[in-house]
Amino acid sequence: MFDNFDLNNIIAGDGILISIVGYLIVFASLLVLSIFISRLKNILTLHQRKKLKASGHRAADYEDLDVSEEINAAIGMALYLHFAEAHDFENTVLTIKRVQKPYSPWSSKLYGLRQYPKNN
Amino acid sequence: MEGLQQFIDFTGFANVTIPHLIMIVIGIIFIYLAIAKEYEPLLLVPIGFGILVGNIPFIENIGLQLGIYEDGSVLNYLYFGVLKGIYPPLIFLGIGAMTDFSALLSNPKLMLLGAAAQIGIFLTFITALALGFSQNAAASIGIIGGADGPTAIFLSSKLAPDLIGPIAIAAYSYMALVPVIQPPIIKLLTSKDERKIRMKPPRSVSKTEKIVFPIVGLLLTTFISPGALPLLGMLFFGNLLKESGVTKRLADTASKALIDIVTILLGLTVGASTQATTFLTSESILIFVLGAVSFMIATAGGVIFAKVMNLFLKEGNKLNPMIGAAGVSAVPDSARVVHHLGLKDDPNNYLLMHAMAPNVSGVIGSAVAAGILMGFLLHMF
Repeated sequence: MFDNFDLNNIIAGDGILISIVGYLIVFASLLVLSIFISRLKNILTLHQRKKLKASGHRAADYEDLDVSEEINAAIGMALYLHFAEAHDFENTVLTIKRVQKPYSPWSSKLYGLRQYPKNN
Repeated sequence: MEGLQQFIDFTGFANVTIPHLIMIVIGIIFIYLAIAKEYEPLLLVPIGFGILVGNIPFIENIGLQLGIYEDGSVLNYLYFGVLKGIYPPLIFLGIGAMTDFSALLSNPKLMLLGAAAQIGIFLTFITALALGFSQNAAASIGIIGGADGPTAIFLSSKLAPDLIGPIAIAAYSYMALVPVIQPPIIKLLTSKDERKIRMKPPRSVSKTEKIVFPIVGLLLTTFISPGALPLLGMLFFGNLLKESGVTKRLADTASKALIDIVTILLGLTVGASTQATTFLTSESILIFVLGAVSFMIATAGGVIFAKVMNLFLKEGNKLNPMIGAAGVSAVPDSARVVHHLGLKDDPNNYLLMHAMAPNVSGVIGSAVAAGILMGFLLHMF
């Protein structure tokens, strides 16, 4: 299985060159992409930060516009509660409406008669 | 009587050989691993069953058009998608539509781990060359270390179509065996204290960032490595469908129905391509060995690079070096393996989100590496 093993094959097949250049290119392309991503947030919020700076906000207000995980969790919880309509305090208005029904099909003659719609 | 004799001569019992039986046993083992151990069942069940389908013995080339390598057979038509590299980009479309790149966008330096793990591809390329494989075959074998089945199939369909069967089987087998292969290597290269490192929670990522990423990602990576265009083009397109928020129906189709259909066709035909008469050779066994080596080097490369990065990072920003192992693609299994290993040493250390970053970066990295190898080795003029 290993009969053909020969280190000269690597040189003949440009193995070292292709591997080093290839690996460096993979690294370089992902490095460039990662640098771009790390700057992306700043690029996207540039206009917003400029606006905040011009309107006289403190540096701390516009330098980091990230919303923390805790705030996100609180917003998420509030929205969930709102849409699920879960709340701690129930209002005390009774919603059971009593309906008077003096007749029943068992006792009323009216139920046994054919009724036609009346023309007013 | 002659007709009966002809029928008997045509049955599987009359044509069975030892290699057929070996391959049938391998197919059954694949199915067993998928069902009993749940090792990548979505891949191993179609591939395992495909191996059974491809190794039912019959008399070839008598005009019945049955075998996967016989022109005009149903299996041959389905295999066309593998041979011409049609299925892998469609799989990438689905992967893109399923993948959330937030973890990567919130901590972009983790992308380098996905690049570091690609060392397995290039070191195995050199080893395969030394073992006497041609440049194209060596590159196709090396890409197994990318731990990305579709990328391996795509590259070998372009560079070494004759080796697609063993390369695809090796790539998918090692992807399925991630929970077996990676943990010993990770444990060997990391101390218990390192495995306990807790990483900073990822920041929240805005919708605009998520929309811009696939567009810029496509432009940056494919301008450098145009050979990866069919794969990365579809990956980022699928992701844009998901993140744009206005093409939910398309994203749903790409990430569910389409990828499922293609996975079934790909798995079954790749399995069936392992017909004993063409598959069981010493070359195939060597490809399996080299594939395993490639995968191990890639895992080690990612872990070691994470440790090197830690030398330059401040306390509090340190990486858990285990997440380097997720730099080999195998999405999401390698990230899941890292997560479970982390939980063993510290039950409150949740590494899944962090490990997903190098994991998806590994998908991009292996596709870029495939494009580069194509650029070097496809002789256009």
